[in-house]
Formats: sequence, C-alpha cells, structure tokens
Amino acid sequence: MKLPFFRSPDGREGGTPADPTEAPRMGGQVLPGADAPLDRRDETVLPTEPAVSDAQGEVPPTVTAPAVPVGPTKIAARDISVFYGDKQALYDVSLDIPDKTVTSFIGPSGCGKSTFLRCMNRMNDTIQGARVTGQILMDGDDINARSVDPVLLRAQVGMVFQKPNPFPKTIYENVAYGPRIHGLTSSKSEMDGIVEVSLKRAGLWDEVADRLHSAGTGLSGGQQQRLVIARAIAVNPEVILMDEPCSALDPIATAKIEELIDELREQYCIVIVTHSMAQAARVSQRTAFFHLGRLVEHGDTEEIFTNPRERRTLDYITGRFG
Amino acid sequence: MDPARIDRDYPQGTNFQLLVAQQQLARMGVVDDAQGTQATAYRTLLSSELKFRAADLVRRDPSVIGQTVEITAPMSDDADLYYKGEITRDEDAALRRVSDRQMEWLDDLKRDGSVTSGFNTLLFTQGDSTEPELAGVLGAVVGSALMLLVTALIAIPLGVGAAVYLEEFARKGRITDLIEVNINNLAAVPSIVYGLLGLALFINFAHLPRSSPLVGGLVLALMALPTIIIATRSSLKAVPPSIREAALAMGASRTQTVFHHVLPLAMPGVMTGTIISMAHALGETAPLLLIGMVSFVPGIPGAITEPAGALPSLVYIWENASELAFHERTAAAILVLLVFMIVMNAAAILLRRRFERRW
Ligand SMILES: Nc1ncnc2c1ncn2[C@@H]1O[C@H](COP(=O)(O)OP(=O)(O)O)[C@@H](O)[C@H]1O
Ligand SMILES: [Mg+2]
Repeated sequence: MKLPFFRSPDGREGGTPADPTEAPRMGGQVLPGADAPLDRRDETVLPTEPAVSDAQGEVPPTVTAPAVPVGPTKIAARDISVFYGDKQALYDVSLDIPDKTVTSFIGPSGCGKSTFLRCMNRMNDTIQGARVTGQILMDGDDINARSVDPVLLRAQVGMVFQKPNPFPKTIYENVAYGPRIHGLTSSKSEMDGIVEVSLKRAGLWDEVADRLHSAGTGLSGGQQQRLVIARAIAVNPEVILMDEPCSALDPIATAKIEELIDELREQYCIVIVTHSMAQAARVSQRTAFFHLGRLVEHGDTEEIFTNPRERRTLDYITGRFG
Repeated sequence: MDPARIDRDYPQGTNFQLLVAQQQLARMGVVDDAQGTQATAYRTLLSSELKFRAADLVRRDPSVIGQTVEITAPMSDDADLYYKGEITRDEDAALRRVSDRQMEWLDDLKRDGSVTSGFNTLLFTQGDSTEPELAGVLGAVVGSALMLLVTALIAIPLGVGAAVYLEEFARKGRITDLIEVNINNLAAVPSIVYGLLGLALFINFAHLPRSSPLVGGLVLALMALPTIIIATRSSLKAVPPSIREAALAMGASRTQTVFHHVLPLAMPGVMTGTIISMAHALGETAPLLLIGMVSFVPGIPGAITEPAGALPSLVYIWENASELAFHERTAAAILVLLVFMIVMNAAAILLRRRFERRW
C-alpha cells in the first residue's frame, strides 16, 4: 500500500540497486564513495542523475530489509514543531509511519530525531519547558487530545533508549514491572508466563533462564538492551520506539539486536533512530532523513539509499557531513 | 537490726546509716559523746543507698529485724574520692571534705576488707541525683532516646516528603527558588535560635509541658529538617535520569516513578543525611537550655510529656556541679553519649547496606 506521505519511486524502479553501505557493516558510518560523480559543493543544484554510483561492491547485508509490503499507517504526524523554551528544535514535520514495518530516522546529531521520536509517546511532556505543536494521530486518534492519558499511551508505545537502562532490580522484576503497574495480571503463574514469553521474544530467555532473580544490571550491554526490549514488549505495545539502541553496543551485540528488530517487525510498528547508515539499510523498510530540525526526505529505504532526491540526503548517506 | 529503732510500717524512715555508723564505732571501741558527733561524722561516709537497701530488705523480710545482716552499698562520694587519691592528707585540713579522723576510719575499713572497689552500676540504672555516688545516666539516656524518637518521627517523614515534593513534583519557578534559598539559610541558623523559637511556639503558645522530650524533640526536628531536606534533594538529584526515563516510558506515572524507582535508589543517601542530622540532634545542647531541659531532673521519664534530661545537658550539669565527684561522672556520661552515637551510626551503616542490596 502506498501512503501519501511516502513518495512513489518516481518511475525509476529500474535504477541500480547499488548499496552504498558496503564497508563497515555494523554500527559504523558509511564512507563516502570515492567516485562520486558530481560536484556537490553547490547545494542549490540538485543532481540530475541518480546520485549514487553503482560501482561499489555489493555485499548482502546480514539482515536483508525486504522492500515493501508495508502495513497500513499506524502513526500520522502533521505539522509537528517542538520548542525547548524559546528554541525551536523541530519544524513542521509531517510523516506517516506504517504498521508492521521498521522505519528508521537518520540524520546528523542534533537534527531532532530523538525529539520527534519522543513526540510519539509524549515523553516530551516530561521535559520542563518543552512544547509540542501539531497533531499526531495513532490509528486515527489524536494522542495529544485532552482525553488521552500519557501514562496509558506509553503502555501502547514502548521505548528503548540509547544507553541500556534496566532498573536496578532483578531480571524478572524488570520485565514484570510494566504488566504489574498496568494491572495486566494478578496471578504469579500468569506473570511468570508473561516474563518468559517476553524474554523469549527478545531472544534473551536462553541466556538468563537460570538467573531470573539476579540483577538486571549485571548483564552485558547487549543483554541489557535486549532485557529493556523484553521489558517494553511485556506490556503488549503496538509501537516500539528505539533511540539509537545499538550505539553503545559492540558489533556482535548489535547484530543480535538487529536480528531481533527484524523478527519483531512482524508484530509491531517499529521506529528506530540510528546513526549508522548501514544499520538503517539493513533493518528498515522506510527511512526518513532529518536535517536541522526539518524532515528533508523520506521513503522506501532502498529508494533513499540508492536514489535520494535531495542533495543533502545524498551528502549525508555518503558521509559528506554528519 | 535494732528492733527498737526500726519502724516496721515505714522502714525508709529509719536512719540505717546512723545504725551502721554506731555499730562500726562500737566495734572499734570508740566511745561517742552525747551529741553523737563521731557517729554523725562516720555516717557521712556512707551513701544513702545503704538506707534504701536496708529498708528494702526489711520490707521484703521483716524477720531480719533483731538479727545482724550484711548489706553492701556504695560509699559516699567523699570516701570514694579519698580512696581514689583525689583527696589527700596534704591538703589543708580545714578546707578538705574528709577529716583526719574519717581518713583513719576509711583506712581501717579498707584494711579489714569491709570496703572493696568495683564498678558502680548505679550509673546505668539511676536517674540524676544530688548525690554523685547515686547519680546515673539512665534518666538522660531515656530522655535523649525519647527526644530523638520524637525528632525522627517528625523530621524524617516531613523532611523527605518536602524534598521529594520540591525535587520531583513542584514546578520549578520563583517560589521553589525562594524556598530553596530559605532552606539553605535555615540550615545555617544557630541552634540557640531554634531553642528560642521552640520556647515561644511550643511552650508559650501551644502550652506543651516544658522540660519534656516532646518539646525537645519538636525543637530538634525543626533544626534537623533543613539538613534532611538538603541531603534528600541532593541524593534524589544524583539518581540517573535514565532510570526516570525508563520508568516513565514504561507507562509509570510520576508518583510511581518516584516511589518505585527514584526514592529507593536515593535511599542510601537519604539515610546518610538523616542519620547525620539525628546524630547532630543527639549532641545538641544549646536549644535545650531554653526549653528547660538543662535542669536537674531526678528519676527516669516514662513518657514524652514528663520532664526529662538529655545526655548532653547532663554532661553540662555535672561538669558544673560543685561536688568534685561529679566531674568523674561527667567523663562517664560523655563516654555513654559517644557509645550512643556509635551505636546509632553503626545501625545506620547496617541499614544503609540493607537498602543498597535490596535486589
Ligand atoms: N531537553 C532538552 N532541552 C533543550 N534542548 C534540547 C533538549 N533535547 C534536545 N534539545 C535540542 O534539540 C535539538 C534536537 O535534539 P535531538 O532531538 O536530541 O537531536 P538528535 O536526536 O537528532 O541528535 C538539539 O539542538 C538539542 O540541543
Ligand atoms: Mg538523539
């Protein structure tokens, strides 16, 4: 299904599906192509040719992001602007985010990716001085409406942060916390079940099954991040927001998380902020590129990486800035 | 136990010390004059505890009347000082409190083994007394404990609550800034000013009983509040924001976030601050001056509304006493105060450990 806020492929589907994300495959930035064909110093001139050279070697990524089909629109943002005090951090962002799909946000530091992500579970409400204007519809309902309890919203929209932040409690307690405060279950055996299923879905069960009652903070960074994901999915959210979930992890842990994200895609609407172009290319079907608080370009991941419309996108994905 | 001189119905009325003195003099073959000068002089070497113990014995078992019984009781403070070498023959006989004669008797008693030295446990079992050999710290210890109980019950919930509100719930603005400045200032106000405030507020206005641990505790609570608030706020601030974020993003409400996650993590710091302020309160003397807790209070308080002393004020009273023997007791009282504090701090460390590994 084509969504109005995602550009159609411009009839250029025959374009070379070259992957500019060849070299550092996990967590690293993409290096600029040595043979970029155009002079890109003049920002006002748009490339007339498909910008990315096809001369680069094609290495199949570990997780192959299948292009489409994506689900129906889960979240629709309209003219979102965010102010921190007097400072505007986000300018009129409108974007549709499809369900059962991984959407990645890319862009240089400080361009407002996290800010936009926080709009979707109203975490900006918790920051003093932050003000959000515009509308975010989730399944057609305005999440900023007076009748919406942000606490309940956050049960539907889970979030994973850059630095793994398990509670300083046991592994079991970490996962059981959400279901407990939302009253999802009252019996111990049901809770055990939820904990087990969540940990299994997060791919952590086998590693921690025998030490559920030891400290969650005693796990390795990658395990902690998967624990945090298990904690988030324990309350049956519909959307999972991930803010650079792998930037504090080593390549192997990153690969595990990426695999996990790919599996979770079947059940959830996933939005991931990443600094790694390679990661965006591997795990996401949709990509949105932000720059200086504005949404510059968005569309199918493959399209963005092989055939970006905007010069700034091209410069960024080829590592020219950021 | 001379039947002729003991009042069966009211044994406390009997002058047992004089009985003992006369018996001892008779044993030594000393013939007293008509006024009983010698017996009176001998009598002053014996403490009134002797009388209480003898009377107690008679009350419990009236059949001892007419028999000869052995009773052990402390010597008087002057006798004690002589034995310890604090009073010597070199001093001017007119100025010293033990005469040559009494010294001979004391030497005699020591020689025949009637006097032995040991630890005077009355120190731990008695309240204050005008007689040093009978004065104990128990009254002051109980007074201090009751006072601290009042302080803790008021200052800890109020202080921690205020800090949590200010730090986690209140909208930061001009008013919270003003409150913050105020609290910081209050922490630096001399304690005697709190004493004055307590006098005006709790005694003159609210008519609470003076010299009572209730008023003392209230005053110390006022004094401890700023410290507790400041310590609690800074340990709340030290909780990593990622934990708050994690809880909020899980759909925990603000209250749940604070009480399930932030406060438990801040607890070790809160406890440290609290214990420090409690230890401070325990040693505080100046405010007690103004609410009548630095005064002679015999006996042991049974309730927070009864007059009571406190350990630091006892130290002050004893050090100021005219009887030399009280000065030794002062040292003992200081040691007891220090032990009290060590026990408190040890308990604090144990509690802290507990809280730190709650999971
Ligand atoms: N809590 C905050 N208070 C004030 N300014 C903020 C806050 N969070 C982010 N900003 C500002 O908003 C802009 C966007 O930040 P952010 O969304 O974190 O960027 P990104 O995640 O893309 O690196 C930055 O200029 C940053 O300084
Ligand atoms: Mg960010």
